[in-house]
Parts: sequence; structure tokens; C-alpha cells
Amino acid sequence: MRKFVVLTLVLSFILAPLAALPAVAQEEEKRWDGADDLPVNPLPCGDEPAPEPEPKEYDGGQPVNPPDLAGKEITLVDVPKLIGIGYFAATTKGQQEAAEELGNVKVTTDAPTEANIDEQITFIDNYITRGVDGILFAANDPVAITPVLKKALEQGIRVVGYDANSLPEGREWFVNQAEFNGIAKALLDSLAAEKGEDAKFGIVTSTFTTPNQARWIAEMWAYAKECHPDMVWLETLEAQEDYNLSFEQANTLIDKYGDELDGLFGMTSVATPAAADAVTQAGLCGEVAVVGLATPNAMKPFVNSGCVKSVVLWNPVDLGYAAVYVMRQVVDGNFKPGDTEVEAGRLGKLKVVNGSEVLLGPPFIYTAENINDFDF
Amino acid sequence: MATRETSLKKSSPALFQQVQGVLRTQEGVLLIITIISVLILATQTDKFLTVKNLLNQGRLMTEIGLIALPMTFIIITGGIDLSVGSIVGLSAIMLGYSWHNLGFPLEVAIAIALGIGALAGAINGLIITRFRVPPLIATLATLAFYRGLAEGIAQARSVTGYPAWFFDLGQRETLGIPNQLYFLVIGIVISAILLSRTTFGRSLYAIGNNELAARFSGIPVNRNKVLIYAFSGFMSGFAGYVLVSRVSTTRSDMGSGWELDAIAAVVLGGTSITGGTGSILGTTIGLVLIQLLKNGLALSGVTGDATIVVIGSVLILSTLINIVVQRRLRGV
Repeated sequence: MRKFVVLTLVLSFILAPLAALPAVAQEEEKRWDGADDLPVNPLPCGDEPAPEPEPKEYDGGQPVNPPDLAGKEITLVDVPKLIGIGYFAATTKGQQEAAEELGNVKVTTDAPTEANIDEQITFIDNYITRGVDGILFAANDPVAITPVLKKALEQGIRVVGYDANSLPEGREWFVNQAEFNGIAKALLDSLAAEKGEDAKFGIVTSTFTTPNQARWIAEMWAYAKECHPDMVWLETLEAQEDYNLSFEQANTLIDKYGDELDGLFGMTSVATPAAADAVTQAGLCGEVAVVGLATPNAMKPFVNSGCVKSVVLWNPVDLGYAAVYVMRQVVDGNFKPGDTEVEAGRLGKLKVVNGSEVLLGPPFIYTAENINDFDF
Repeated sequence: MATRETSLKKSSPALFQQVQGVLRTQEGVLLIITIISVLILATQTDKFLTVKNLLNQGRLMTEIGLIALPMTFIIITGGIDLSVGSIVGLSAIMLGYSWHNLGFPLEVAIAIALGIGALAGAINGLIITRFRVPPLIATLATLAFYRGLAEGIAQARSVTGYPAWFFDLGQRETLGIPNQLYFLVIGIVISAILLSRTTFGRSLYAIGNNELAARFSGIPVNRNKVLIYAFSGFMSGFAGYVLVSRVSTTRSDMGSGWELDAIAAVVLGGTSITGGTGSILGTTIGLVLIQLLKNGLALSGVTGDATIVVIGSVLILSTLINIVVQRRLRGV
């Protein structure tokens, strides 16, 4: 009898939340809202030019009594989401190139080996204690990282973000590799070109709340509704930033939807090659198109074999390069709140958007014609 | 120096022997290793051995510490709880969800989070005792289950925008000491008393040494086991609350991998993984040693990837040293 009661208790605890899940699940449209309550801003369809963005007031944070280091040698630390993956190795390379060019910047990259919010916070905290002149970061979570960045600003340390933003008050500037709506447009237009306007697709992403991926998906949702209304959004699966998991999730989509599936989007630099690998191994090249964000080296085999037609990305080397230049200009007093552009070495002048963001440029699409020219 | 030592020996031989006795225990050896590590690290950088840095480290290790305390109890009984990291995530999500989506006052939401943690822990205990599932398997299953639940409830949303008072626990300090550190210290004291000064505590050792014998001596083995797993769940829930307050956001992936950090602190602290021996003091020293090593190495300019290698080596080395020392002392 008692055993029965306990069993019922355990089972009901296990089943009750499962029964409640459908009620919890929001309607689809609301679900893909970027997990941050920000508005979406889809670009016009086709080749129509994008409207000029409305000017927005500077909304970044400012360091408290930063030492005057204009023209002097500065020591920077770079804390990306994680180390040991090609993408952040490429941003590091760009940073070193900029540092070498400038001659008066020393930058070291140090971060956890897994994309983990509390470990990243600990890394930054330790560097604040150690004392650096500036911090470059790519956030694992926009909100969670902000308190520790504010602590850095309070101690007079300069803070510039790149790749993945914090809340605006946590940094002075953020170097935005590509606007979210631009990436969304490039991805969907590429799939439409390959598979037609009625393509059915699945997505493999990192997590539903990772800042970049969540925003891209939100913009994709908005842009698809406007410009590719007949496309069918089958399912979105999480796979961290883990190759094996991404491979498994891509296989899940292939097995689950079979012939229905026309395309797979990879939202991370590991999910895209993993999806391409899964499609190749399933012998479905040509049947299932793979479009996604990835670094060229990881995609070369698939692009050269013809299995993948287009890889969307910016140039991460340029991104790291720009971050260091922006930091130097900030320290030298050449780039202040209210400015509309900033000089960034070989990249020329970069535009300021969204109040306190520096835009790297439009996304770049790697194809069989150009991918072999890149090595990162 | 030598004369002072002898005079000390003469004046209070009891005290000296006591000190000597303490230093010969596992905890004593570990304490010496910790002190040596701290001294070495302090020579590498002047930023390490400062009150401000040490207190800040206390802030950062609180969450793992809170989990490591009940983990010590559990490992002493010969069990293990792998689901703690997932319970951290589940409680954190329940905190944010019941406040943001269900509209409860934040105080109630905190209570719900702690309650869910305790309930999740109790479920572990019931599965282990009622259905005789080995703890490793039971909590491995709930590790996946609770995490899945957290992700399902979160529906990809992180909850932010908590009122300012909510951050008091995680981000502010009282009398110069981080607020959450008080709770860790209270937790350590209570757990230590519970384990070493009560019949309940002694019963845990008895269970770990010989469960059958413990049963025949009339110890309520199952009840005590459910209690410690529930305590473990409760403390994980509390750690989740502390973490949410510290990082000011709620995510479903919070606490992932923490079970290993907590277990590392416990076993480094001399608790036998097969049960029967261990202490809260040991766990506390283990916890502090790992945290200070991570921090000290980072401050001395060792990069993250090299740091984990060094930490792994220190874990193995200090365990080996302890085994050798204990063997010598016992004259085996």
C-alpha cells in the first residue's frame, strides 16, 4: 500500500509537468522572439535597398575616471565565449594583427574551454583583480555578464564587446559583425535560391537563448513571413556549440522528416559543418540543402564536393581586428559617444548603428568560387 | 627557534600533541597543502593574497560550497548525487517562471524554488530507497530529467528584470563581506555539527560502513537517506537562488556540470567515495583549495586551459600525498 502511494507520488511528480508542458508552450510566433523582448526589423525583400536606420542616442556605459593612456602602451585581455574553436581562433588572429600594426597594444586571449556563463564571469573578475587597461569580450549571456563588466567600468577599465553583446550599460562600444536582419535575409534568400519558395526546413542552433542565434532566428521568422511566406518552418533543435550533438540533432531532423525536409540551417559555426556532414553521410546531398553560418575551413570539403552551395558569415579576422582598433581609438580619445563613425585601419571607416554599436559591414557569402581564397 | 619550540613543548605538552594530532589527520595534511599552495601563489602576484580578492573568491565559490555540504553527507553513506546541477537549473527556472509568468510575489517565488529543490531531492531519495535503484543510476536519470524539465518550462526564455533588492544576496556585501558568504559559513557550521555531534550524523557513517548492520541496529536507514537527498536538493535550490541573484538572470542551462565540481571538493577533502569516512572540515578545505588554485593561477597569468591541467594534477597529487602520509602514520 505504502509503496503504491509513493509510486503514485513519484509518477505524478514526473507526469504533472509533462502534462502542463503544452499549456506552457507559447504559440510559435511568440516563441521565436529572440528571447529578449526586442523588436524585429526585417529587411525589404529581394534587392530593394534597406532604409537608412534612425539615429539613436548613445546608450553605452562609461568608465569611471579612466587613466589617460592616449598614445601609451595598453594591455588588453580578450575573453571570448570559449577558446579552442576555429571561430574565436580567427578573431584572436585579427586582434593580434591589429596589435602588431598599432605597435602600442598588447592583447592576450583567455577564456573558458566551454561556453559557460559563470566561468566566463570568473575569468573577467580575475582580470579585473589582476588589473588590465581594457577588456574585450564576446558574451555567453547578455544579462549575466553585465554586472561584472559594470564592475570593470567602475574601476576605470575600458570595455569593448564584439561578436555577442552585453546589455548596453555594460560596455562602451560593441562591434557588431553584421546586423541580425542582414544575416536572416542572406540565409533565407540562399535557401530560396537553392530549393525554391516552398522549401521546408529545419534549424540546428546552439540554445534558444544564446544572444546571436536567438536574434537571428527571430529575424528569420519575421523575414520569412514577409518575403518567403510559403516556406515551411519544420522544427528548431538545440545542440549547444557541440559538434557531436549538432550532428545528432541534424540526423534527428533528417530521420524525423524524411522526404519532407528540403533544407537545414546551421546557426553556429559547428552546427553547419555537422549538418553538412550528416547530410553527406545520409547520402542526401542535393536532396537536402545545407545553409548556415560557419568558418570557411570547416566548410571547404562540403562546398568543394558540391553538397553545400552557400555559407553565410562575416570575416571573423576582421571582427577581432576592428575590436582592437575601436578600443585603441576609445583610449586615445578619438572615438567618443555621439560620433557616427570610427577609423579602423585597413577596414577604413566603420559606421555607428543602434546608439553604441560599430557595424563591421554586410554579411559575406562564401561559395565554391571564393571559399578557397580564405584560410581560417 | 628550536628553544622556543622546546619551551612550548614543555609548557603545554597537551596542546602540542593536540596540534600534532590534528596535523596528522587527512584534513591536517590537506590544510598544509593548501597553505603551501597559497604561499607559492602569493609569491607569483601581489594581487592574490589581498582581503578583497579572497572575499571575492568566497563569493564565487559559495554556490558550489552549498552543494558540496550535503554531497559530503551523501558520499559518506556510500551514495552519490549527480542531479544537483540540474536541480540548480530547475530551481532557478522555477524562481523566474513563478515570478515572471505565474505572477507570484518574488518572495513566494524564492520559496517555491527552494521547495522544488527539496522535492526534487526527496524524489531522488525515494527512488533510491523505495525502488532500490543504485544512487548513481537514479541520479544520473534525474540529472537528465530535471534538466529537461527546466528547459521545457523555460521554453527558451531567460527571465530578467528582477527588482534591485533581489540582488542584495548575490551582489552586495554587509560589513565588507559578500552577503552569500554568511550563508555558506552558517551552512558549514550547521552541517559540521549535524554530521559530527548528532546521532543522525553518526548514523550516516554507520550506513556508509555497513548498511545491513546499520539496519539491524535499528537505524532508520531509508528515512535518513531520503532526508539527506532532500537536503541536497534544497541546498541546490538555494545555490540556484544565490546564482540567479549574482548574475541577475535565469537560464535553463544554469548549474550544468556543477555536480563534478562539488564531488571534486568532497573527495579532495578526504571523504571516501566508497563511504564511511569524511568530514565537513575536509570538504571546506577542499573547496577553498580548488577555488584559490583557480584564482591564484589565473592571477599569475596562467591561461584557462593550462589552469585546468594544473588543477587536475594538484587533485591527484594531494590525494596521493594524503594516502602516503596516512599509511605511514598508521605504520602499514
